[in-house]
Amino acid sequence: MDDDLPTDFQVIVVGTGMVESIVAAACSRIGKNVLHLDSSDHYGGLWASYNFDGLQKFIKEVSEDPKRQEQVYNLSEKWYIEKDVSEEAEENKTDADPAKKIWSQTKFAAEYRKFNIDMTPKLLFSRGPLVELLISSNIARYAEFRCVTRVLTWLDDRLMPVPCSRADVFATDSVSILEKRQLMKMLTAIVGNTEEEMEQEFKDWNDKPFKDYLTHKGLTPNLIHYVLFAIAGGTDKMNCRDGVKESKKFLMSLGRYGNTPFLWPMYGSGELPQCFCRLCAVFGGVYCLNRPIDKVEHKVVDEGKSIVVIESKSKTLNCDHLVIGINECPKEMISPEPTESTDISKAVFVTNASIMPSEKEPLTLLRFPSLDGTDHAVTVLEVGPATGSCPKGLFVVYLITSKVTDAENDLMPYAQRIFDMNADQSETTEKPKCLWSVFYNVRDTSAPVASLVDNVHVCSGPDSGLDFDRAVEQAEQIFKKICPGEEFLPRAPDPEEIVFEDDAAPGPDFERTLEDEEEQKPEE
Amino acid sequence: MAKTYDYLFKLLLIGDSGVGKTSILFRFSEDAFNISFISTIGIDFKIRTIDLDGKKVKLQIWDTAGQERFRTITTAYYRGSMGIMLVYDVTNEKSFENIKNWIRNIEENASADVEKMILGNKCDLDSKRQVSKERGEQLAVEYQIKFVETSAKDSLNVEYAFYTLARDIKAKMEKKQEASNPPGARGGTHQLKSNDQQRKPPSWLSRCSIL
Ligand SMILES: Cc1cc2nc3c(=O)[nH]c(=O)nc-3n(C[C@H](O)[C@H](O)[C@H](O)COP(=O)(O)OP(=O)(O)OC[C@H]3O[C@@H](n4cnc5c(N)ncnc54)[C@H](O)[C@@H]3O)c2cc1C
Ligand SMILES: Nc1nc2c(ncn2[C@@H]2O[C@H](COP(=O)(O)OP(=O)(O)O)[C@@H](O)[C@H]2O)c(=O)[nH]1
Ligand SMILES: [Mg+2]
Repeated sequence: MDDDLPTDFQVIVVGTGMVESIVAAACSRIGKNVLHLDSSDHYGGLWASYNFDGLQKFIKEVSEDPKRQEQVYNLSEKWYIEKDVSEEAEENKTDADPAKKIWSQTKFAAEYRKFNIDMTPKLLFSRGPLVELLISSNIARYAEFRCVTRVLTWLDDRLMPVPCSRADVFATDSVSILEKRQLMKMLTAIVGNTEEEMEQEFKDWNDKPFKDYLTHKGLTPNLIHYVLFAIAGGTDKMNCRDGVKESKKFLMSLGRYGNTPFLWPMYGSGELPQCFCRLCAVFGGVYCLNRPIDKVEHKVVDEGKSIVVIESKSKTLNCDHLVIGINECPKEMISPEPTESTDISKAVFVTNASIMPSEKEPLTLLRFPSLDGTDHAVTVLEVGPATGSCPKGLFVVYLITSKVTDAENDLMPYAQRIFDMNADQSETTEKPKCLWSVFYNVRDTSAPVASLVDNVHVCSGPDSGLDFDRAVEQAEQIFKKICPGEEFLPRAPDPEEIVFEDDAAPGPDFERTLEDEEEQKPEE
Repeated sequence: MAKTYDYLFKLLLIGDSGVGKTSILFRFSEDAFNISFISTIGIDFKIRTIDLDGKKVKLQIWDTAGQERFRTITTAYYRGSMGIMLVYDVTNEKSFENIKNWIRNIEENASADVEKMILGNKCDLDSKRQVSKERGEQLAVEYQIKFVETSAKDSLNVEYAFYTLARDIKAKMEKKQEASNPPGARGGTHQLKSNDQQRKPPSWLSRCSIL
């Protein structure tokens, strides 16, 4: 199969992460001849989703391969349930519905395919750049989404729903009428004002803490909490400019698809790079996984034209432009300029119930303000079986923050607030029981880096942000460098719009009769 | 807009490259063969609505977009598929042997109850045949999957194959619906479309005169 791989391409893309995949699709879409490679046997790199089996392989790889540990480290996996369920426990539960079964490690393994666990779980703002891009490019037809059903926060030592829509604000009894009025006024000001009005309103505040601004406006502590932590996703230190920008982004995305501003991709974030890859392939891009790169060289050929030459599995491949994920790129090609970065602490939990039970299966964003007064809020995403993330009866919960010491130390205090970490499954407890967890740190490779060669373009790794906006922005920048003046992912036609004119077979005769048409119909 | 069909089935074509998947899709959807730009513009999917026992069944049939060439089908390709045509080329032994690998790939990625059918394509090329019809039948028995030899070129059994697969999916679906009323459609997911309330202002902007 190897032998029919062509050797010359206009663009070679190495790595199938989000940025790489968008660039590949964009180049292929406007007619560039694209080869897209990945060193591993699956799509997505650090943006991938894994079933439980794939995740076990990933964990094994990280613990055994020092090269992987440059990206992912401090990884620790833990089971809180038995290998097998004893007959006794099973029998005591016979009356229960299947959703309430007693889980064991063996049962997880048996249902491994039903898990889709994300390495980089992210949400889409309903009016954010990725949603707009998916729609305008027609790539949206490859994906399905679910609305996040609620936004929660941690207030006065318990979970509290954050009123998102206007209707929510009216309905909630956790804020007074007076507060409702204050809140509406505040939020309307952020969304509705013109540039000039905004300029006027915030000119003295921009670099001051957003919290001070909210206090100055006379908001009560509860309202400040909602706006600062849940709506702006900020911390005590967030400045006013960012606070207003983030709040606006949140508010502008309301009312398009659901009750919150957010969408979650069915089967996980790892589907999204694949959707872009499909578009690339539909427009002729060639795909090859399991294809590590051994060497990258920059060459000047005749008439000063510069090309990039890659060695992979003893095959030499040439291209005009190389687009390469930062983790695959040879260090000597990257500009040594230091970039500012804080590594990321992550954890994934599988639990047997939602952190806050509700009538319909919830899909939750919880913004956890820092518990120790530092500048590190924790983002929590809880997804259930309806998203294709796990078998019935379970939930997958992601915790993400910036690294201070290590993932476990950084995140365990938060996990303990919302889960029962030790309980026996058969006991009834208030909080969901944690059945399995993994903690790990990821090196932050999200800062854009310059390459030392003009036609080598380095793609950043995943950032710790809530959405994909930075990835989309970077992909567009790289595309514009490769294809100046070209449109970024113009709308791909629907299959019905493509009219085929067959040269070989003549079309229907002008005088063809109705009887002929009848005969052409399938004999069924 | 009124729905113009009773059922919508997502079908896939799988098999080694060159076995004739795209040609089969073309034969079925356009009743044409040998379109010179099959290889230049990738085929995403094609739609054809058929009539099955008085019901309108819309078939949305997805092509691999060439991603099978180096065994790089995306997991996303399999999502939500209800039927899969496994295609080999009767003039290519290897493509026949690989059917087993493709079945494993399907088992790993597609829904467990997806309907399957094996097609031995290019049966018009009898002089170059490497895989006998009996071996095809045997394989099908082994996996308990329906089988037929086809020719996209001569338009042989292509219609039959899709009608058969569609009928099997419909039967399975109706049986399931009987078992679990109301129909267990997943529901609640969004496909993003350009006209989705694009112009509706965010709800915060609507005036709040009551307050
Ligand atoms: C969906 C699917 C899954 C499959 N999974 C497996 C599997 O898990 N295990 C398995 O053994 N087979 C698997 N196969 C079959 C596999 O693709 C081959 O057909 C089979 O391994 C026989 O290989 P081959 O060498 O005869 O020929 P080919 O399939 O043509 O592949 C081998 C070719 O690749 C080139 N090549 C291979 N390795 C290198 C290298 N390191 N450097 C340079 N060139 C190289 C060689 O030129 C050689 O001609 C799968 C097939 C399919 C369709
Ligand atoms: N003789 C013959 N050739 C066929 C048939 N189906 C496809 N082909 C040819 O086989 C080649 C590969 O077909 P294609 O549809 O591109 O295969 P795909 O890679 O599986 O999509 C093309 O040259 C087709 O013309 C068939 O039924 N009979
Ligand atoms: Mg094809």
